[in-house]
Amino acid sequence: MKRVITGNQAVAYGVILSRVDLISAYPITPQTTIVEELSELVASGRLKTKFLKVESEHSAMAALIGASTGGIRCFTATSSHGLAYMHEMLHWASGARLPIVMVNVNRAMGPPWNIWSDQSDSLSQRDTGWIQLYCENNQEVLDTILQAYRIAESVKLPIMVVLDAFVLSHTSEPVEIPSIEEVDQFLLPYCPEHPIDTQEPMAFSVITTPEYFFEFRYKIQKAMEQVPQIAKKVDDEFRSRFGRSYGAIEGYGSEEAEVLLVTSGTVTSTSRIVIQKLMQEGYSVAGLKIKRFRPFPSEEIYEAIKEAKKLVVIDRNLSAGVGGIFAQELRASLYSRDERPQVFGFVSGLGGRDITPNLIEEAIQYTLEHQKPEEEILWLGLKR
Amino acid sequence: MPNQIRFDRASEMPMISISLGDMEWNKTGTWRAQRPFYEDKTPPCNAACPAGNDIVSFILRIKQGDFEGAWKLIREENPFPGICGRVCFHPCESKCNRGNFDEPIAIHALERFVADFATSLPKKIEKIPKEREEKIAIIGSGPAGMSCAYHLARLHYNVTVFESFSLAGGMLRMGIPAYRLPKDVLDRELSNIEALGVEIRTGVSIGEDLKIEDLRDYQAILIATGGHRSRTLNIPGEKGRGVLAGLDLLKKNNLKKKVELGERVAVIGGGNTAIDVARSVVRMGKKPVIVYRRSKEEMPAFEEEVAEAIEEGVKIRYLVNPIRIHHKDGQKRLECLRMELGEKDESGRRRPVSIPNSNFFIEVDSAIIAAGEEIEVSFLPRGIDKKDGILLTQTGGGTGIEGIFAGGDVASNQRTVTHAIGSGKKAAIAIDCYLKGDDGDKVIQPLLIGDGSSISIYPYLHPGEGIRNSHVVTFEELNMDYFEHVARQRQEKLRVRDRLKGYGEVTCTLKEGVAVEEAERCFSCGTCNECENCYIFCPDASILKESERITHQVDYDFCKGCGICFTECPRGAISLKEEAK
Repeated sequence: MKRVITGNQAVAYGVILSRVDLISAYPITPQTTIVEELSELVASGRLKTKFLKVESEHSAMAALIGASTGGIRCFTATSSHGLAYMHEMLHWASGARLPIVMVNVNRAMGPPWNIWSDQSDSLSQRDTGWIQLYCENNQEVLDTILQAYRIAESVKLPIMVVLDAFVLSHTSEPVEIPSIEEVDQFLLPYCPEHPIDTQEPMAFSVITTPEYFFEFRYKIQKAMEQVPQIAKKVDDEFRSRFGRSYGAIEGYGSEEAEVLLVTSGTVTSTSRIVIQKLMQEGYSVAGLKIKRFRPFPSEEIYEAIKEAKKLVVIDRNLSAGVGGIFAQELRASLYSRDERPQVFGFVSGLGGRDITPNLIEEAIQYTLEHQKPEEEILWLGLKR
Repeated sequence: MPNQIRFDRASEMPMISISLGDMEWNKTGTWRAQRPFYEDKTPPCNAACPAGNDIVSFILRIKQGDFEGAWKLIREENPFPGICGRVCFHPCESKCNRGNFDEPIAIHALERFVADFATSLPKKIEKIPKEREEKIAIIGSGPAGMSCAYHLARLHYNVTVFESFSLAGGMLRMGIPAYRLPKDVLDRELSNIEALGVEIRTGVSIGEDLKIEDLRDYQAILIATGGHRSRTLNIPGEKGRGVLAGLDLLKKNNLKKKVELGERVAVIGGGNTAIDVARSVVRMGKKPVIVYRRSKEEMPAFEEEVAEAIEEGVKIRYLVNPIRIHHKDGQKRLECLRMELGEKDESGRRRPVSIPNSNFFIEVDSAIIAAGEEIEVSFLPRGIDKKDGILLTQTGGGTGIEGIFAGGDVASNQRTVTHAIGSGKKAAIAIDCYLKGDDGDKVIQPLLIGDGSSISIYPYLHPGEGIRNSHVVTFEELNMDYFEHVARQRQEKLRVRDRLKGYGEVTCTLKEGVAVEEAERCFSCGTCNECENCYIFCPDASILKESERITHQVDYDFCKGCGICFTECPRGAISLKEEAK
């Protein structure tokens, strides 16, 4: 069934099709319509899911931690300050190896107060042990949620599915909605590894001395390392069932291009048009979309950029004192390689400012014209 | 450490930190610096009860619905729950810790409830075998004499009580009107003592019918003749016709003898006798006015009874002192002086001082003097000293003559029923010690409760059991987080109109449900009532249970001595002491 729906509605469909047992969330713009959609469905009785009202995002995640420990599938969604408020509980969810799926609608962190798209909220949580998957369009949003439960429940790690504020959350696009019977074939009920058994009571997440804590962290890293392989398997199966797949990264444009444009989220959609235009104009350019930020797909990226001489990275985020975070991650992952391209790190579109085709072209032109960047951070579209 | 699970490599470990084994190998008790332990302490009510009732424990029984158990428990110390539940001035309630929170527990009403409940029990009081050869004579069948007789019977003695009146009970029968203490209640509790094998010989006056010397067959004698001689005012005219002694009026009423009274009656005095007299006068259809030389605050009569008297139409004139009674044609004029309050006297009350030239007259038809009572001991042999108007005695009642003891009003200025009951109990122990050749005062000392105004006979009768802790629980030692304000239950009273029809009892016994609700208000100071707070809060699961009940044992293998049980115990029934280093 194809319907024209917003990104937030696509989230709701993904949750419904995943047969989630518990939803607990606190509303925040631009996530609010997800919660509205789901709570109304629950209230009307059409969705047989428990909806737990809470007084904060911290409590929402705490509730899911309890529920997931109890062995049920659960969901929440948030944005920006709501996500930051959950921070402590994010560590807890991953440390307790709970396959919770959460949607974060990217919104800038205040102040200044701002409700528009910016990745600084989700990227601030990069070290919490969560898998992070960034989406380009509404179809990908729905599909990623279905895949996320499969991956999370397989590696026992929580997953954050990320979409851009307004550009996706409040914008309608045609989306193919699979039938629940098809999804049931793909996504089986969740079976916890350590279910709660009242006959055999047990303490969970108990204190661990230095003697063992280290090993538990090692196990989380090992689980992260399994993600590329498992995610690929899930993506392949998804393609065979539904005809769509995404990969950890996706390359497009000229083969063996000298300049490669690296983007994430909806900037990729715009970039596809720019790359197409420049190719027609005879430039040797190509694009690379990074969908999975954690675990960082270093291997896949290296394979994709081997031929490139220069990378144009557009970051819709800023780690003040360093620069764009995707650019930093890329540089770090390439450092150990003998041959590595020059990285041009552009920061653009903070606080929801549009990243237009012209701006993207400007970044590529700058890169073509320079042997190496004149500055560590290249400010794109800044009114300097 | 037999149960500790160890892992050598990450691959052996579970995915998450979960409790695969137990922590019993980890004896956290070794970390303990202080040790909690269950220790029942003395509640302030118990310490304040001159009769030595274990109040908290009998209230706990009421709460549990075990009314018979409550009755038996009271009778371990006091044979008169029905009487005390009615006429005791309940010093226990003044000391009740709940009074600092909302209102004290209505202890007297609960005691009365228990006693009245007991009347529905099948009567099964059995004679106690008289295993001792010694015979004991008790002179006076009031609360002191009968309490002593009761405990001596329980100590297996052969006891004979001599009573000069035709009926037993002493001041309980003669001095207290039936609207406060119905005769059937008194008769029942006296006959319960007789049923144990105590002989009461009424109509035998020691001094007239028999002399003390005639009691040679008895190895010990208790003098418990009370204070029956009314004090005089030492004013002109008080010996004239139509001037009565308050106690005489009460006695005649109680013996249903005719009393001649005029219409307007002055009652002179401010004690309980004065109030009892005035309320009796109202019931005789006359108009009483109480004349008292101090103010309301100094009045020794119990507040509630004063209030009831006023409800019934008794008038009280304060700060008025009669100095002469004029007689003319059967009419009387009370010549009085107005008074004002001066400095405090030795009783702690402000001394009344007459205002010069303030003379005025009160016109009445009869005057009744109720200015207190004195003891009458002219029948006693030489060798027993008096001091401050009472017989001089040791703690246990021993007098200057070996084998003669004294108790109750004759040996105490605290003239209340409950003090008499306590003093009779002390005398019983002292007599037992005397006959066994023990030092009575030394034996009594550890049986005293709190500051010593109370005594328990239970540990004497059951050696090694029921010894009361010397620590009296204060309000500050309780944890008020666990209590809510609940109003004290009040006994219903007859309407004034119905009261004045005769001598029917004014207050009513609590209904069962109300009594249980009132019992539930009790903090149970210093006494574990198994609320299980300790069990719930203990972070080390070290409060031990057996068959779902707290054992009052702490598992010191694991107790870290955090003191949470001590802090969260609402009633101070857990103590904490430093571990020996």
